[in-house]
Amino acid sequence: MTIRYESQKVALPYIQISLLLFLLQIAMGLWLAVNYAFTLPQWLVDAFSFATARAIHTNLLVAWLLLGFMGGAYFILPVECERELFSTKLAYIQLGLFVLAAVTAVVGFLFGWTQGKPLLEIPVPLDLVIVVAALIFIANVLLTVIGAKRRSVLQWMLVGGVVFLALLYLLGIPFYRSLNADYYYWWWVIHLWVEGAWELITASIVAFVILQVTGIERQVVEKWLYVETGLFLFTGIVGTGHHYYWIGSPDYWLWWGGIFSALEPIPIALMVVDTWLHVRRRRNTMVNRLTWIYIIGLAIYHFLGAGVWGFIHTLPPVNYYTHGSQITVSHGHMAFFGAYVLLNLTVFYYALPQFKSIRRYQEKLGQWGFWTMAVSMFFLCLVFGVAGILQTYLERFLDIGYSTAQMTMMFWFKAALFFGAIFLVGAVMTVYHLFTLRPAPEAAA
Amino acid sequence: MTKKAAKSIFWVGTLMSAGIFIWLTVDFHRQEPAYANTDRITEQVVAGKKVWHKYNCNDCHTILGFGGYYAPDMTKAYYRLGPNNIVAIVMEPEKVYKDSFRKMPKLGLTRREAEDLVEFLHWVADIENRHWPPQDEKYVRAARLREKEPHKLQKVDIVLGACGGCHSFENQGRDIAGDFGDIAKETQYDRDTLVRYILNPTSVNPDSGMPPQNVSPETAELIADFILGLK
Repeated sequence: MTIRYESQKVALPYIQISLLLFLLQIAMGLWLAVNYAFTLPQWLVDAFSFATARAIHTNLLVAWLLLGFMGGAYFILPVECERELFSTKLAYIQLGLFVLAAVTAVVGFLFGWTQGKPLLEIPVPLDLVIVVAALIFIANVLLTVIGAKRRSVLQWMLVGGVVFLALLYLLGIPFYRSLNADYYYWWWVIHLWVEGAWELITASIVAFVILQVTGIERQVVEKWLYVETGLFLFTGIVGTGHHYYWIGSPDYWLWWGGIFSALEPIPIALMVVDTWLHVRRRRNTMVNRLTWIYIIGLAIYHFLGAGVWGFIHTLPPVNYYTHGSQITVSHGHMAFFGAYVLLNLTVFYYALPQFKSIRRYQEKLGQWGFWTMAVSMFFLCLVFGVAGILQTYLERFLDIGYSTAQMTMMFWFKAALFFGAIFLVGAVMTVYHLFTLRPAPEAAA
Repeated sequence: MTKKAAKSIFWVGTLMSAGIFIWLTVDFHRQEPAYANTDRITEQVVAGKKVWHKYNCNDCHTILGFGGYYAPDMTKAYYRLGPNNIVAIVMEPEKVYKDSFRKMPKLGLTRREAEDLVEFLHWVADIENRHWPPQDEKYVRAARLREKEPHKLQKVDIVLGACGGCHSFENQGRDIAGDFGDIAKETQYDRDTLVRYILNPTSVNPDSGMPPQNVSPETAELIADFILGLK
């Protein structure tokens, strides 16, 4: 298989930069685990604090995932619209601006240049650069879709997701005098991104990949897409309320937030079902087994991390004890890995062979990469979970104090460091494999 | 299912949820003054919030449960630590946490910034947030009783409420400045000296790293009796 439209090539640098940032993100994550597992000397803490490292870890996450989404969107749009992208030049300018903002932000964090809001630390001047890049992206996507030779649900779902994503980002920029309102709108960015806008974008991209790889009828895939995204938004929007239990808000949030967020696993479960059905009823033969493993792995881990792990602590009586603990860390890692990391990698495994006109690629190293990452991430989240249960039980049930609880947890962070290091090995294998894809001998097929 | 039905599921689901959410948001703003005492957000509170952002406190500490999980939650820190302790910690963390298993970076706050931060944390601590976090409720209760009805307090509540941010006793509180059991065994001070020490540590021992405590002389006497009673 080879790329069908010249302009799809802009996706390549997006994907490559994205993968490099992914590795940096994990390296920074290991450093965070070191901070938890050991007592560090004061001079080191002064020079490079946990706060700075965490800002870099989380911002790299957002940056590489978004770069992957944008690259993915640019890769699928020409095929889906049966035309070249509106402008490849704009796409390169956008990439330049985005990378410039991301690199400046990370360097700025090292020197204490920050907006000081978790996950949204990027200072306002750089926010504006990102807004410009986002506007270019929206314009490029929209103008490509408007001139499409064929209309599809998927195109508009993608446009909707992209516009929704950009609009929500704006809410994180202003200074709020009240911390209570600050966090109210902070969740419009964070929650409505991952349980709203991002789901729209990724659901459309996954639908496209499934359509192409399995050869299932478009009508069937698009019907599932409508139902799933509809349920995602139905449960996800009011489900934002599960973050409002303890910020100082009216009591009804306990009910609205609790009930709607408890329903959030349903669309994800449907996604598992439809992926399974589509793969079983496929019309195409399985050319690259690894790409299929990624599609199925994505559905399962998405359900496990976002669905099950999320459900476990979403109800108010449980959340009262688990809120703001390592339980959240466990859920966060599994959910991001399941819903978005695997999605990006699925798209990359679908797209990258086409740049090299490879139909069937050698997949052994990629297999090792996938299983190493999948297994170590599972254990990493178990370890975070154990630390979280200890923390919750010791500090909030037995009431024996913060430092006693944290010191008991240090052992589990040594374990987290161990599994994190294994995850890094898996990620390095995967990234190296993606950069050096080689055709497999066809005779073995 | 027809495609049309699927499409209507999408639109009905999305618009319904968005409608409910916007309605609740309007109501949230209507009720916010009662839950968050917005009338008490003075310019100093706002200045303190800017200090909180400037030093990126939130990537190590949670507040309202959000942020980094590396350091204790700050929602009720005003009641857990008291203003003097907060100032001492943020201005000289390298001294306060010299022997701690986990360090806080020296951020270089001015005294003015530290005081603004205290005002901000005071406002935050009074947000009606359904008594979260659970582990700090005892400090909130003790601090409020200390102000209004000290006779109702048990000694151990007073001691933990006032001192538990840095001292431990029978596994409760935070042990960064010593356990009361050990302190009781080692101290050479008599009752009066200990009371003076609690109110202004450097007046008794110029090398002391302990900040002056925000307690009344009566409460200081109670605490001194408690500690000396452990001998």
